[in-house]
Amino acid sequence: MSPILTIIVILIGLYGLATSKNIIKSVFCVTIIEAGVILLFLNLGNLEGGSIPILGNVIENIVDPIPQALMITTIVIGSTITALALMLCIKIFHNYGSVEWKEVLGREE
Amino acid sequence: MPFAYQLPIFFVFIPVIFGVIIYLFKKPWITSLSFLAQITLFIAFFVYHQFWLTNPEHHLIVFGGWSERIGISFYADSLNLTFTLLSIVIFSILLLYLFQFRRKDHKFLFFFLFLEGVFLGMIQTNDLFNMFVFLELVTVIVTVLISYQKTGPSFQAGIYYLLLNTVGALFFLIGIIFLYNTFGTINILLLKDLIPLQGDRTVVQFAYIIMISGISVKAALFPLFTWLPKAHGVAQSGISALLSGLVVKGALYVFIRLNRYMYVNVPLQLSELFFWLGVVTALVGVAFAISQKDMKQILAYHTVSQVGIMMMGISQSYLTAYYGGVLHIINHALFKSLLFLAAGVLIKHYQTKKVYEVRGVMRTFPLIGIVLIVAMLSISGAPLLNGFVSKSMVKYAVKGDFIKEALFFLINLGTVTSFIKFSTVLFGPKQNLVKQKNPLQDISMILLAVGCLGIGLFYKELGQWIYGLSVTVKLWEWVNWLDYAIFLAIGLVFYHFVVKKDYKPFQFLRHFKLTFESANYLFVAYLVVVLLVVFT
Amino acid sequence: MIRRISLIVLLVVIFFGFLYSVIDLEAFFSTYGKDYFFANGYLETGSLNLVTGIYLDYRLFDSLFEAGILIAAVSGVTWISQHEITEKNASFMLDKQITPGLFITFSRMVYPFMLMFGIYVILFGHVSPGGGFQGGAIVATAILILYYIDSKKATSIDKILTIEKILFLTILAVGSISYFTKGTFFTNPFALSASEAVKSIYLITLNVLIGIKVSLGLVAIFTAFLKEGR
Repeated sequence: MSPILTIIVILIGLYGLATSKNIIKSVFCVTIIEAGVILLFLNLGNLEGGSIPILGNVIENIVDPIPQALMITTIVIGSTITALALMLCIKIFHNYGSVEWKEVLGREE
Repeated sequence: MPFAYQLPIFFVFIPVIFGVIIYLFKKPWITSLSFLAQITLFIAFFVYHQFWLTNPEHHLIVFGGWSERIGISFYADSLNLTFTLLSIVIFSILLLYLFQFRRKDHKFLFFFLFLEGVFLGMIQTNDLFNMFVFLELVTVIVTVLISYQKTGPSFQAGIYYLLLNTVGALFFLIGIIFLYNTFGTINILLLKDLIPLQGDRTVVQFAYIIMISGISVKAALFPLFTWLPKAHGVAQSGISALLSGLVVKGALYVFIRLNRYMYVNVPLQLSELFFWLGVVTALVGVAFAISQKDMKQILAYHTVSQVGIMMMGISQSYLTAYYGGVLHIINHALFKSLLFLAAGVLIKHYQTKKVYEVRGVMRTFPLIGIVLIVAMLSISGAPLLNGFVSKSMVKYAVKGDFIKEALFFLINLGTVTSFIKFSTVLFGPKQNLVKQKNPLQDISMILLAVGCLGIGLFYKELGQWIYGLSVTVKLWEWVNWLDYAIFLAIGLVFYHFVVKKDYKPFQFLRHFKLTFESANYLFVAYLVVVLLVVFT
Repeated sequence: MIRRISLIVLLVVIFFGFLYSVIDLEAFFSTYGKDYFFANGYLETGSLNLVTGIYLDYRLFDSLFEAGILIAAVSGVTWISQHEITEKNASFMLDKQITPGLFITFSRMVYPFMLMFGIYVILFGHVSPGGGFQGGAIVATAILILYYIDSKKATSIDKILTIEKILFLTILAVGSISYFTKGTFFTNPFALSASEAVKSIYLITLNVLIGIKVSLGLVAIFTAFLKEGR
């Protein structure tokens, strides 16, 4: 059930990207898609159930540790891309006076 | 293990370490260290190539000495090494071109060298998640380089590029997730053997669809190429040459790995789809290119059309067409970079970007005139130069089918016409302009032109030496020379009577802009189309 | 309107594609990675936290370039935020801000606890949940609380960037020590048969270096946003 919910999150993000008229909304939608992808991977690693992958107590079965290590990297990458995109938004506002896609793309050079 | 076995790691880290050192020390003579980095890379490559030829069992390096299924590994085969040599050559030539301006700009050289290291890493790695990390790194650094001038339009082009490519890379990651959960490993060589065993499962096919759609955004295929002209319009010419010449080819390299290495034995019947996609991309690109008035936009739309020709080549399983596609990748990197560098010099001296306002290049700047003629002849496929070799090899894919041959003829005609439009800059009287002497720039352009001629004349020996195959394209048969002359004649006629008058359709094409929401809508539509083709 | 309806139809088609593949996946999937790490992870890396063992030993190469993307993005954000004179609408938000007294008092109370928690997460990353990246983010948040207390006291970004790059070179050097002891790059330099205490020296060193580097990078990004180029 939970992998399906994360897929709905990803598709909501895609819908938002294809219909948003504001640059900052598009940045939010990319963040939503990235959060959905991270949750999807973690859920698919948990299909059998188990406890956290830290040895030290007596446990029979652990969750797969590789998705968690890969997703640490993905979270860092996602946050740096969001920071870069938001700084570009600030600069676009300083230059054009608005952050709507129509006004920013419509000016000829 | 001899030390030469570990050299691919140094390909990645030599530019990165030199880049960081150049950023840290503020002395003005430190920037000349970048040349030292390039020379070291060349030496390392030739040493490794000798080692590679004699030891065929040492092509795989696993970091940390762990088992192959769980560790990260680097793998070197002939495709890898070709791309590595191509990128080292292009980066060195671009460094020669840019060095005069950017002698004191430590930050620019830091980003440039870091991009070189990361790109070389992306080509050599054998691990899918590592490839994703490098792909995102390339996206981030190219965004910073596009917005480097900090003018209004450059920020707009930067954010368009960043958001669209990040969505593509995230979909690539979803495909990796499905593959890992099915097979337990993300090593490309192991997946090559494991995927055919379960090739008819829905998960495996769906992973392929998602990964291909994700990577098509970066490779600038038909509905998703709108970021390319915007980025080229605002970036300076050296960065444009880098973007068109190498970054798009990196995405095509990942495409080749997916199609021909991992999924080669799964019967997906997609070669027809990608062939037609290539044809449509080439036609659309050429149609836009004819209608533009800005020099760099003509070249940018032209890159889109050449990517279509490459896709026509590499999607076939017929070997000659495939090698033609790979050779076209190498040739296009050479002559497109040459065109962008020459256009950059012209823009700086004439202070304008429009084709109709630049005149008299042949008499004012004779060196650039000669170099431009060489590049334009190669891109339109004149015999004796490299474009002819690769286009003839790709032509084998269309032999026998009348419609496909007619479309290929149209594409070539469009290419010739758009370059006749570009070549109007050559004629005219001598202009009085202040010339700035820049010997390094001239050397870099001469080197590229020599490369074009060299591959055109000596392709047989080079093919034997690198790939061990013998390819003959009939060079001296008079049919091919006559073909080219006919193309030129029809192109001239077409240009004079149709293009020059600037009719309504051309104006419509020139002012056509695609909003960001429409670009994403087309991405969703593209995914659905590929899905329907695979599953029916 | 037509556009939105067609968009929803296309998204529903993609959703069914995902649905069938997830159902197919739940029927048969491979657990090779999990079994391998459960059996051998502690013996080979010396860390009880298997996730730390993966990103510091089996896949150290990935973590190096994750640190690298932080450097590239921080330098990029800093370069883009510096002002050119030609901008028309530049008005700065920070001049209009007044921090309420409640925030200042609260920040003073919370700051030392958060800092200590962050350092604990970094140092004990190989025994309990945590690690370099996670602890670095917590320490960065703790330092940024100081901005609530006094927003004029921002440090200079150039010094932070220089230290960050020196730390990146140090991490590369520590990762390469293993070439001299084992013959391959990017793994634990101590032998597989050494005791856990000896192997964890390497893990703690790398975690501390990565933690400091990540926290400096995040503080630099936030400072660049705060100063808006002045």
